[in-house]
Order: sequence, then C-alpha cells, then structure tokens
Amino acid sequence: MFHLVSFIIRRLLLLPVTLLGLTFLIFFFTSFLSPYQLLSAYVQDPRQLQGGNVEKLIEKYGLKDNFMMRYGRWLGQISHGNLGWSLSLNEPVSKVIEERFPATLELTIYAIIPVIFIGIWLGVVAAVHHNDAIDQVLRVFALLGYSIPSFVLGLLILFVFYGVLGWLPPGRLDQWAQMIFFSKNFHHYTGLATIDALLNGNIPIFLDALKHLISPILTLSYLSWAGLLRITRSSMLESLGQDYIRTARAKGLSEKVVVNKHAKRNALIPATTVAGLMFIGMLGGVIITETIFNYPGIGSFAAQAAAQFDYAGVLGVAVIYGLVTVIGNLIVDISYAIIDPRVRLG
Amino acid sequence: MKKSIAILAVAILVLSGMSVMASSNMIVEETIGLIPTLDPAWSYDTGSGEAIWQLYDNLIQYDGSSISEFKPMVSTNIPNEKDGTILDNGKTYIFHIRPNVYFHNGDVLTPEDVVYSLERAVIFDRAGGPSWMLAEPLLPTINGAYVDSIEQWATKLAGVKKFNDLFVDGTRTPKNEKYRQALIDTFNLLAKAFEIKGNDVIIHLPHAYPPFLYILAHGVSESSMLDKKWLSEKNGWNGKAGNWWIYHNPTREKDPLYSIENGTGPFTLDRWTKGREIVFKRFDKYWAGPAKIEYGVIKKVPEFTTRKLELLRGSADTIYVPRQYMEQVENVSGIKVIKGLPVLSVDVGVFNFNVNSKGNPYIGSGNLDGRGIPADFFSDENVRLAFNYLFPYNAFIKQVWVGQAMVPNSVIPKGLFGYNAKTPAPFTQNLVKATEYFKKAYNGQLWKKGFTMTLVYNSGNTQRQTACEMIKYYTRRINPKFHVNVVSELWASFLDDYANGKLPFFVVGWSADYPDPYDFEQPFYSSKGAYGSTLGANYVEWAKKNMDTLLVKSMKTVNQSNRAEIYNKMNILAHNHAIYMFLDQPLSMHVQRSDLKGWYYNPMRPGIDFYSLSK
Repeated sequence: MFHLVSFIIRRLLLLPVTLLGLTFLIFFFTSFLSPYQLLSAYVQDPRQLQGGNVEKLIEKYGLKDNFMMRYGRWLGQISHGNLGWSLSLNEPVSKVIEERFPATLELTIYAIIPVIFIGIWLGVVAAVHHNDAIDQVLRVFALLGYSIPSFVLGLLILFVFYGVLGWLPPGRLDQWAQMIFFSKNFHHYTGLATIDALLNGNIPIFLDALKHLISPILTLSYLSWAGLLRITRSSMLESLGQDYIRTARAKGLSEKVVVNKHAKRNALIPATTVAGLMFIGMLGGVIITETIFNYPGIGSFAAQAAAQFDYAGVLGVAVIYGLVTVIGNLIVDISYAIIDPRVRLG
Repeated sequence: MKKSIAILAVAILVLSGMSVMASSNMIVEETIGLIPTLDPAWSYDTGSGEAIWQLYDNLIQYDGSSISEFKPMVSTNIPNEKDGTILDNGKTYIFHIRPNVYFHNGDVLTPEDVVYSLERAVIFDRAGGPSWMLAEPLLPTINGAYVDSIEQWATKLAGVKKFNDLFVDGTRTPKNEKYRQALIDTFNLLAKAFEIKGNDVIIHLPHAYPPFLYILAHGVSESSMLDKKWLSEKNGWNGKAGNWWIYHNPTREKDPLYSIENGTGPFTLDRWTKGREIVFKRFDKYWAGPAKIEYGVIKKVPEFTTRKLELLRGSADTIYVPRQYMEQVENVSGIKVIKGLPVLSVDVGVFNFNVNSKGNPYIGSGNLDGRGIPADFFSDENVRLAFNYLFPYNAFIKQVWVGQAMVPNSVIPKGLFGYNAKTPAPFTQNLVKATEYFKKAYNGQLWKKGFTMTLVYNSGNTQRQTACEMIKYYTRRINPKFHVNVVSELWASFLDDYANGKLPFFVVGWSADYPDPYDFEQPFYSSKGAYGSTLGANYVEWAKKNMDTLLVKSMKTVNQSNRAEIYNKMNILAHNHAIYMFLDQPLSMHVQRSDLKGWYYNPMRPGIDFYSLSK
C-alpha cells in the first residue's frame, strides 16, 4: 500500500514538470515564426493591414517580443488561473474548456464502455475459435475497422440513421432540448447532458442527449473495437498456449472456467493498457467524429485553434491533454498492478 | 436487463420522431462562419455583421433589395437636398430622430445616444477595424488627405511621431498636460461635427463626403445605435472628451460590448455559445412592430453533408451551400434554390511593380536571365498586358465558379452605381496578343531569355490555386522558356510574404464596405489605398500623378453623374495600363426550405434578415 501511495505521489509531482516542458516546447516552436506570421491570428483579410495597421497590431499584441518574454507572460497568467484568451472562439480559454471538455468526457465515457466490453469479448471469441469461421469473420471485421477512415464511417452512419431513417440526428441536443438545457431553470451540475438531465428530473432531455450520442459512439466504437479485438485475440492465443492452461485442462476443468478464469485474466493485461490509452486518446478530442456529428467537444476546438494560430487555445488544450495523459497513465499503471499481482509499483 | 434496454430503445425511437422539424416560431440558419464579436465598433466581418444586423438599428436602412434607395429607421427622414435636410453642398445632414424607440433594456433612444454611437465608432478605432469609414467623413483632413484614424489628429496636435508616444510606457496615462490637452482637442474636432437641436441630430461634415449616407445605413455595423447610459454603466466609454483614449483600440477581451448587447433592433440576444450557435429572441417593443417569429438561430455546422441532411429533415430552414455542391440541393422536393445573385465584390490578380528582392525565393535569380525575374518585372506595361491577355477568363469562371460568376471589366462590380458595362471592355483571352506583348517586353530580351517565377496562393483556396495553375499553363504554352511555379502557403506564411512585399503576383478579393464606387476605386488605385500602396514604388509614383487627383475630385462633388464619369475615366486608365487582372465577380445563391417566407436579397446585408422571415 505504501508503495502504491508513494508511486502516485511521485507521478503527480512530475505533472507540473511535464506541463512546463510541454508548454515550453510549444512556445519554443512559435519562436520560429515572424511577427507577421503571428499576426495571421489577428488578421483574416489583407485589407485589415491598410495604413499603419501592421505595426500597430504587432505592437498592440506584443508580437515582436521574444518567446521567453511571451512565455513568461503566459506563465504569469497561468499562476492567476488564467489560461489566456482564445482568438479562435473569442472567449477565455478556461471557459471554452469548461464548456467543451464535459461534452468530450461524456462522449468518451459512453463510447469506452462498449469499446472495452465488446472489443475484449470479440477478441476472446476470436481466440477461442482460432482459425474457425467465426475467427475469420472477426478478423475481416477488425481489418475493416482498421481500414475504414473515420470520416467515411461517420458520414455513412449519419446518412443511414439520420438522412434515411431520421432517427439519430447530429449535434448534442435537438433545438427544443437546447432551449431547455440552456434556460435559467436548468441546473448544470456536471456539464454532462445526460447526467444533468437526470439530476434535473428531465427524462425527455436525457433521452434526447442519449439519442445524439449513439451515432458518434457507434463510429468511435467500431474504429476502436478493431484494435482491442486484435490485441485481446493475440494475447488470448498466447495465454491459451501456456503450460498452466494445459494443466488446468488436464485437471478436468471445464473449457468455460479455463478460458474465463485462467486464460482471460492474463490476456487482459495488454488489453487494459490499450483500452486505457484509447480512453486517454478520446479524451484529447476526436476531431473528425466531432466535426461530422457537429458535436461540440474539445477536439473540434483544438483543430480550430491550431488552424488559426490561436496559441492560447492550443496551449490550453495541451495543458488539459497533458493532465489527462499523466493522470490516465497513472490509472492504467495502477489497474495494471491490480490485474497482475506480479507487477509491483515501486 | 434486456427489457430495460428495449424500453430505452423504444423511448429514443419515439423521441426521434419528435421535434425533428424546427418549430414554426423559430428559423434556423446553418452556416460555416464564426461570429467574432457583437460590438458594432469592432465588427468588420460577415459573421458579426449578420448578428449585429438582428440586434441593432441604424439611422436609415436600405429599401428591400435596393442598394441606392433608403427607408427611415431610427431617423424618421432620409436627408435630401430637396427638403433642405442636406445643406451646404453635402456638408450638413439633418436627421429627425424617431420618438419612442426602445433599447432592449427598456431605455428610450435619445439624440444624445445617436451622437454618442457615432463618436464611439470613431474613438474606438481598433487597429485593422472599420473605424476609418466614419473617421474619414467626420474628421477634418490633414494636408488635404482624409484622416482614417483619430490617432492621426492626436499625434499631429501633440507633435509626436506615434500615438503611443503620448502615454507613459505600458499605460494609457498621458505623459504630460500638453499631451492630455492635445487628446481632448482631438476629440473636440470630432465633436464639432455634431449638433443636437430638439429631437434633431445635425451632422456638420468638415468636407463633402458623397458616400456618407451609405456609411450610416443598416449593414454598416459601426453606425449602429447604442445606449450611452447603459454602456457607460458596463465599463464602456462615458462619452466624455477627457478619457476617450482609455477606450481606444482595446483588445477584444477588454471590450465590454463584445458578448453583450442592448440595441434597439427587432431581436434581443437570448444566448450565444461561442463557435457553435447564437439564438435571438423577438423584441416585442420593437418600434416597427414585433417580428413574426419568436426565435432566430444561427448555427455553425462545418460539415456540408451534416448541413444538407439537417435541411432535408427540416431541422434547418436555410443553409450555406458551397458552389461545388449546388447540384446536390437543386431540384430536390421541398428545397428552394435561388441562384445568380450578384455579390458586390471582385477578385483580382495583383501585379507587384517592385518586389522586395531581399531573400525572396519567388523571383529566382532576381535578374532577366531566364532563371528569375527582375524585382521590377511587372513595372513593364507590356508584361502586365501580356498576362492580362493570356488568362482564360471564361474557362476560369466555368471551372472554378461552376458558372456562378462573371468577368468584371473594372474594380466596380455590376450592380453598383458607377458600373459601366461597355467601357472599358473586359480583357478576354487572346494568346496572339499576349505573345505580341511578351515579345515587346524588355525590348525583346524577355522573349529571348525567358523567365522563372513562383506564384503563391494561400493553401485551401482552390480558386486562387486554379488561377495560378492556369497562368502557369498558358505562359509555358506561349513560350517554353517561360517557367511559372505554383506553391501553396499557410495563411500565416502568405501574410508574412504579402506584408513584406515578396509576392510578385497574387490573387485577392475586395467586398463592398458600403455601396459606393469610392470604396473600390480608393483601395485599388490610390497611392495610399489598401492594395494600391502595396504595389511598389513605381506604381505609387504613377498613381500619385494619374489617379490620386481624380479620386480627390470624385469626392468633392455630390453630383453622381459627374462622379460616375470620373470613376469611368480611372477605370479606362487602369485598363489601358493593365494595372490589375480582373478575374471574377461572384454570383451568390440562397438555399432554403420551400416553406420559408419573406426572404429577399440585398447585397449589402450580411447573411439573412430574421425580421422579414416567417413559416
């Protein structure tokens, strides 16, 4: 227990160093840009540069300052809890993150459940039926998941379930639900639409939010199942070939017990790591899925901020992503130790 | 468990049948643009302009689709010479302010609010913003030239070089009493333009400015009417001469009006989720009567397929459709497509007469040796004429614009006062003439030695890319010694090269700030114009001799036919000397559901007018 606590503390202490390094690197890269290039974040049309506006803008936003000065200013802001001003969305970065991160978190939480359970189950089934027809079908299924671009799958799902059937609309909520969701009487406890709807006792909004989540979840799940299926399948195959499995079978244990109790537990170790990393990856934002389904998450903001040289926005997302990665990895490491008693954190 | 899942699925399916159609008291527009601000004095883009249109009123407005006829708005009259509300040869304008016009918070609009609104637009003056439009008519000229920023008068009166020299470093505190007084005197110059007499606002321009009414009309955001009392309570400027510089050129985060509003327009701001959607709610005390719909919504939906499906399912009433996807929405039941709407904008190819050759990768060797071009390559008129004759205008319109554009003959777009369809005749592709001019250029040396240069476009802009590729193809076809490379750059790098004068040729566009030809002639042809001034020393010298005098003359008369004649003269001059390459004037289109009523087109209106719409 002591080892575990000390491990967690040490990893958490590394967090500020990691974030400092990450943000320093981003600032360092911007030092290669000229003041005019940095100006592009503020100017969308050359007509804005008429007269003496070029120099005025450069001076106004301190674009001639070296990157250390700008980094120092940014650190000063951060120390006051201010992540800066997003030029691409025109509001404080902290507010953008506060509004968008819960949406991504909600999508990720709902998506990761089917990803883990179905992905692992399919991997186990494929391994148990090694080289059978089921295995072949699942391998093709996995190959498709690997090969199909997310925008193609997303558009296909959108077309069928919304364009043709009219069941699953894009966005986070229907317009009528949004009018209620954003009204003063609706309390936002968590920022997660489904949970807040339940806490407000509003079942229609809960169902509406759920309805909007199905298509992006389907898209994300199919793309992720493939990876998890393959990892679980190969580690299951490896486990099933071990001596202790042969021993278990020789002892006369049923195949169900051999697979579930002896083989699966060991096979889950790499699958857990992959699932954890998938979860972290999704929390960083799923840009294409969010764009196709017009889902207002952190991924679409990150893409927009990067495209518009909104470095406050990029830095804000980097800080959040850094936090999620470090904490996510920590959780993966801990769960790894729990699943496999041979692993010791120290 | 299975039963619960089944119940949930059924509930979701039942719900999916509900509320798919946007309700009849709500109009939803889905588009791709962002709304950067709700502050009229900051706004200089279509997205903000569309939102501000719904929330604010101006003194006057365009009459329906017209861009030359006005209707009253906050003013009950349209000033004109006949009834004596335009006097002194176009220097005095009298507006009778409408009584009982309410701001959204219940305050009543006063003539003081009108004056405050226009003064604030001038003192606000954010760098790269629209303040120049009101500064030019309202501030006195300096050495005969219009003043496009209040800073110019402040620095002149204080005798300093830069505006920031007036203040203690890093602050907005004037360094001394002399500078403070200069700042106050500067404001007084502006304040002199306004007089309030009873319910009338009288504007005394220091000089005639023919497009002045257009600048005041609805559609120019910065001329919107603001509530002085309310805004000063919200940490905005209080209208006093003694502190205006604190509210001058702010950063967006320090602008109190960027995300709140208190206009007199037909809609109030219900909510604005940045980067996603803005919702307007009907203002029941609107002076012209409440809107027919209760809510107007503008949603940002970047993906076209998503927008299209939302339109087809009825979740959106109107959407933005890129030209290349036009066929996907045409002849679809329940969808109406209106095409061929002339936009007041032109796209031009710009010849840089004197390229900055220092470290310039786009001009090769920098000499006329076949491996590059000299820095003043485009100063040779024959070269410019040759390029104008080699371009395949019609193929460009067909291929890039899917036929939804026309070839302009000058900077004045069709539909605007001053447009002359006959003269000058637009350039058409004529490779024989192009060859002839290339052979004349540089006394035949260009034809003999050839050239190599690089054309740059900002990545993602396929229209500009195709224009450059077409030039590449035809130059090579005329003479195999002519080498044109085409490269794309990210916007940031493109802007860097543009600002440093490194681009030998590039494509830019210009859209009307207000519907007067001066707004096109000045930026393109004046030696101090937004584009004219960037064409290099040789052009600037030429423009000073040939264009500047004509421009000044065009603004000294209020006789519109005289003005049209002057602009035509300038256009012929520019055409004969092939100053620019006029590529296209786009035609716009509107896509909506058939049950949407009341839509009309006005090229000066950014986006749609929710007030006119119903279902």
